[in-house]
Amino acid sequence: MLANYEVSQAEKKFIGLHLLFAVIAVSIGSLFGPLQALEHSGLDLYPYLQPIFKSYYQGLTIHGVLNALVFTTFFITGFLTLTTIYGLKRPLRYPKLNAVGFWMMVVGLVTAAIPILADEATVLYTFYPPMKAHWAFYLGLTLVVVGSWIEGYGMYFTYYAWRKENPGVRTPLTTFGGLITMVMWQIATLGVAAEILTMLLPWSLGLIEGTDPQLARTYFWFTGHPLVYFWLLPAYVSWYGMLPKQAGGKLFSDSLARFAFWLFLLLSVPLGFHHQYVDPGVPAGWKFLHAILTYSVFIPSMLTAFTVVASLEYAGRKRGGKGLLGWIRALPWGDPIVAAQLLAGILFFFGGIGGITNASYNVNLVVHNTAWVPGHFHLTVASAVTLSFMGISYWLVPYLTGKKLAVSNKFALAQVWTWFVGMMIFSNAMHVVGLLGAPRRTPLGLAPYIPEEWSGHLLRVGIGGTIMFFGMYMYVYIVAKTAWSKKAEPANVEVPLAESVQDPQDTPEWLDKWVPWLIGTVALLLVAYGPQLIDQISNISLTSPGFKVW
Amino acid sequence: MTEKQSMHIDPYEKNWIRLSIGLLVVFALAVTIAGFAMGIQVPSPEARVDPRTVADEGPWAEPGLRELAPGKYEAYVLAQTWQFTPREMTIPAGSEVTFYITSKDVQHGFKLQNTNINVMVIPGQVSKLSVKIDEPGRYDYICTEFCGLGHAAMFGTLIVE
Amino acid sequence: MAEHKNSDNGEFHPKGTWVILLIFVVTLILLWGSVYVILLSRGVTV
Repeated sequence: MLANYEVSQAEKKFIGLHLLFAVIAVSIGSLFGPLQALEHSGLDLYPYLQPIFKSYYQGLTIHGVLNALVFTTFFITGFLTLTTIYGLKRPLRYPKLNAVGFWMMVVGLVTAAIPILADEATVLYTFYPPMKAHWAFYLGLTLVVVGSWIEGYGMYFTYYAWRKENPGVRTPLTTFGGLITMVMWQIATLGVAAEILTMLLPWSLGLIEGTDPQLARTYFWFTGHPLVYFWLLPAYVSWYGMLPKQAGGKLFSDSLARFAFWLFLLLSVPLGFHHQYVDPGVPAGWKFLHAILTYSVFIPSMLTAFTVVASLEYAGRKRGGKGLLGWIRALPWGDPIVAAQLLAGILFFFGGIGGITNASYNVNLVVHNTAWVPGHFHLTVASAVTLSFMGISYWLVPYLTGKKLAVSNKFALAQVWTWFVGMMIFSNAMHVVGLLGAPRRTPLGLAPYIPEEWSGHLLRVGIGGTIMFFGMYMYVYIVAKTAWSKKAEPANVEVPLAESVQDPQDTPEWLDKWVPWLIGTVALLLVAYGPQLIDQISNISLTSPGFKVW
Repeated sequence: MTEKQSMHIDPYEKNWIRLSIGLLVVFALAVTIAGFAMGIQVPSPEARVDPRTVADEGPWAEPGLRELAPGKYEAYVLAQTWQFTPREMTIPAGSEVTFYITSKDVQHGFKLQNTNINVMVIPGQVSKLSVKIDEPGRYDYICTEFCGLGHAAMFGTLIVE
Repeated sequence: MAEHKNSDNGEFHPKGTWVILLIFVVTLILLWGSVYVILLSRGVTV
């Protein structure tokens, strides 16, 4: 039985601050979503924003950086801090260390935001050189990443202290998943750290003349794909460790849940070349190896699909669902927390299909850099992740503030469905128009080569994007109203930790040992990346001077 | 270390894992055949160039189409903000064209619509891919990577007659 | 009913889960296959 544990007010406040910054970021970043989507439909509002925002691309940079990098990182570090300490039932070992990490992220965010808002860093969230942003942009990103590392260290120290107090006890699942996420992130971000510290920052400061754009891409995508798993794994923590309880059942398999997390640690990083299939400077053989490794990381996702759906079936049957599929209707669809995660899962089914298509080596020639790609990742980061985070917020904000959700259940449900419907329309249209050949990152209204036949799909992009806009600001409204309302009823919310069908103590010990998995992770990384990194670094040529082309 | 410590994999889930792996093996075989047996391949390193001088000397000083043999062409394409040179090329239907593309400034993309030509164009690197086009018509090549304010207007046309 | 440790789980077989995931696999094969066919129809690149 899981006894309740009381998280201190100071820690609740600390976690709440993460959420505050996350929601502020997403509320600014999402302003630009419908502007881009409507531009595709032929309604370009950017000229009216000229005094403040200079171009479609500046808007797109803000959208990508704030939503995909800032919202996620702040939400995730806050949420995982809670799952760590609540799961371990002990406070942070060094709360000051975590505070240092957090405030470093805030300083980094502000440092990067200034040049972005001043139109001095309109380089999109991939910031490929030799497009050259203001140095403060690179410095700010570095501080955000290092801050998240430090918050990770705070979690490791807390875990280490708990482990010494509790030898032989299985690490609680939500803690376990959170720690793996942070360790994976630590390894993955070495790529972007190398890119910025050895190339972009000295270059933007005028210390070196040029960059090697191909090597920069290799560094970037070392981090860029695992970034996707950094977003996704916290949602999985909720799907495995909380959703079964919220749905009224238990986790179907504790040991397979843990096994999947280990596979994600092992396989999330050594596959970045699948973002570089059409790069001229990477040999096809290495691309093929990474294709196979990318297929391998599909396996823990397939495991997750089974374990999570089976846990839901277990819950639905316990709630009286009959027949082969009758249990689906028996699930608590009326609870916005559950509905958000179920709908996130449905969208993620399609996200998975698109993902395996992108990953399929030469099949990537059909879709690379087309509108298909943002169509795809809006199903992952903006659906599986963001919609789950919305659902999580509906218990997390009341838990942290002690106040009930300040809107009716119906309103929160409407929010969740609005996002779902908008996303279905938007992402489907983006996939179709991408297959027809529309490029991504392009104001298509200005493109002279767009055939008339695409206009129906482009209209749907605008409609879907607009619906999502309402879905997002309903969410922001709910969270803000709950956080700031004075008179709200007190909430009695617990962190929803799911029990497992199988006693976690019966999970084999090798699934709770770090050292062998870490050795395996590093070894695989060396095999998959080592030779190419050595080759590309030893042949480095810093011959590309910088350009400001916006 | 008790006896009951085991993975406890439910037989239904075990079969699901088998099915997943089987499916991935089939997909992997399909892309391997298409890539290595049929020749629908992704690019590999072709050459390194100096982006500061590539437009002044060597083949990209005079970009364009070169006929190697009847029905066999090479196309040297230079990408820069915000145009491809040449902007237009004409080949007879049924010809085979090998593209050699590089950039003299920032990163670009080169996608020849309705074909398998879709590559990144990276300063310092040469992107090489081939295509054989039988169907006459106008095939636009468009820039698929953000390259600055004029990115959306960056394209050219391959005319197949 | 016999008392054994996992009686909670004893009766439960995730058949519905299999149905849902089979639908997923069939959709995956169809959609992935359609893009693969586009790739093949567009011919060789080397």
